Amino acid sequence: MEEKHMWQFGTREVVYAAIGAALYGVFSWVTNFLALPAAGNISLRPAVSIPMFFGVAFGPWVGFLSGFVGNILGDFLSGWGFWWYWDLGNGLMGMIPGLIWLGITSYKAKDAIIKAEVMVVIGAAIGMLVPSLLEIFFSGIDLKTAIGGYWFPAFLSDAINGLILVPILMVAYDSVAARSGR
Amino acid sequence: MLVTWKYRPRQSVIETFDPRARWIFSMLILFAIIKFWDIRFLLFFFALVMTQYALTKLTWAETKRAWFFILFLILFIVALNTLLTGRGGTAEVLHGGHVLWRLEWHVLGLSIHPTITVERVWFAMSQVVRMLSISILFFVIPYTMDPRLYGVTFRGLGLPDRFAFSMDLAFRFVPTLARDFSTTLDAQKARGYEVERMEGGIIAQIRKMAPLVVPVTMNAILSGEDIVNAMDLRCFGIRPRTWVHQLHYQRRDHLLIAFGLVIFIAAIIVRNVLHVGDFWLPTWALQWAA
Repeated sequence: MEEKHMWQFGTREVVYAAIGAALYGVFSWVTNFLALPAAGNISLRPAVSIPMFFGVAFGPWVGFLSGFVGNILGDFLSGWGFWWYWDLGNGLMGMIPGLIWLGITSYKAKDAIIKAEVMVVIGAAIGMLVPSLLEIFFSGIDLKTAIGGYWFPAFLSDAINGLILVPILMVAYDSVAARSGR
Repeated sequence: MLVTWKYRPRQSVIETFDPRARWIFSMLILFAIIKFWDIRFLLFFFALVMTQYALTKLTWAETKRAWFFILFLILFIVALNTLLTGRGGTAEVLHGGHVLWRLEWHVLGLSIHPTITVERVWFAMSQVVRMLSISILFFVIPYTMDPRLYGVTFRGLGLPDRFAFSMDLAFRFVPTLARDFSTTLDAQKARGYEVERMEGGIIAQIRKMAPLVVPVTMNAILSGEDIVNAMDLRCFGIRPRTWVHQLHYQRRDHLLIAFGLVIFIAAIIVRNVLHVGDFWLPTWALQWAA
């Protein structure tokens, strides 16, 4: 069996990063109607679980590209323009859970799910913190607004979505992974 | 459910430029804009990006949803920032100032009394112009750049072959996956799944998405195996790839990049050598406080 490396990016990763990004883009576009009242640009997007899950299942680069490119696609489909630092944040949100990729042998094992849940929360926290802080630089807001207006609602929404849907996707993927023999 | 890209050929001037030149120009203008807090300079950039917008031949009907989204987002954040501290990139706005209103709110037993000063209001206006300029600069891209060219564009901008190809593939997968989603939605509805009835708390709402998210994702992963095998059989990644669409810089592209560079260098000279362009408050605005 081929040996896996944390940062590998071969054919398999190229394809799954593209699938993850396309799924994230399509789901984001579909669920944009579920807008949370908390903040202007934050919507309740179950789709955020896609880059997190793709990170866990296929590695950090796949998670990163699923989030980064997927967010671009979602914004392009909705016609909202290009917000590169939020794309970067979404990429990090997928990349960080991907750091446990090599340690997972069974996707339905309790310890794998707990590890993934912890990384989902860390990923959502760091992933949304980076663009929120960059908004200080670009938009001239202060730290309180960046945290209260951007980071907190985005982190809360993304972490909740990830915590609920990533384990469901992991359990479903366990049988798929066994079927494909990879 | 039909997924359509916002792009369609409009025979506009903007579309005649090489996408790489447009990305480089946009990034240079972005980094020039963020050097300023003086509304006079920001209005120059606002005029520049609105000129770009005018050259795209976009109509109000096509873009009104995006305009509302951008304006709501900017006004919400600026209002929040102004009420919370009013401070931004320029520290002098934080302390003191000429009082315009002193508000007093009682929320959950706490007394909140933000003070709105002339300086804060003027800073908020500068902030709106700056944020709008940055948003409009990039807002036209989905409408005016052919999605088939993103892969080759980012390859041309230095992204490694595999990453650029992955990006290209993602754009191509969107219609297929949207169709799969639509089929799954119809199948689940036939089984009694009611996507429109989104009642219950947030957690219940998210869990209700699982019957849609899980089958579409697992189906896509299974199909992905076939694509991986097909690409491996064709020796993908052994040599640098060639692209169906080729991009070539024309004279106008070099001129666009040069124009962007001139503005960027001028911005550096104005801010770092002449020390002009920091937060500016006209003296006549102080009369508002009286």
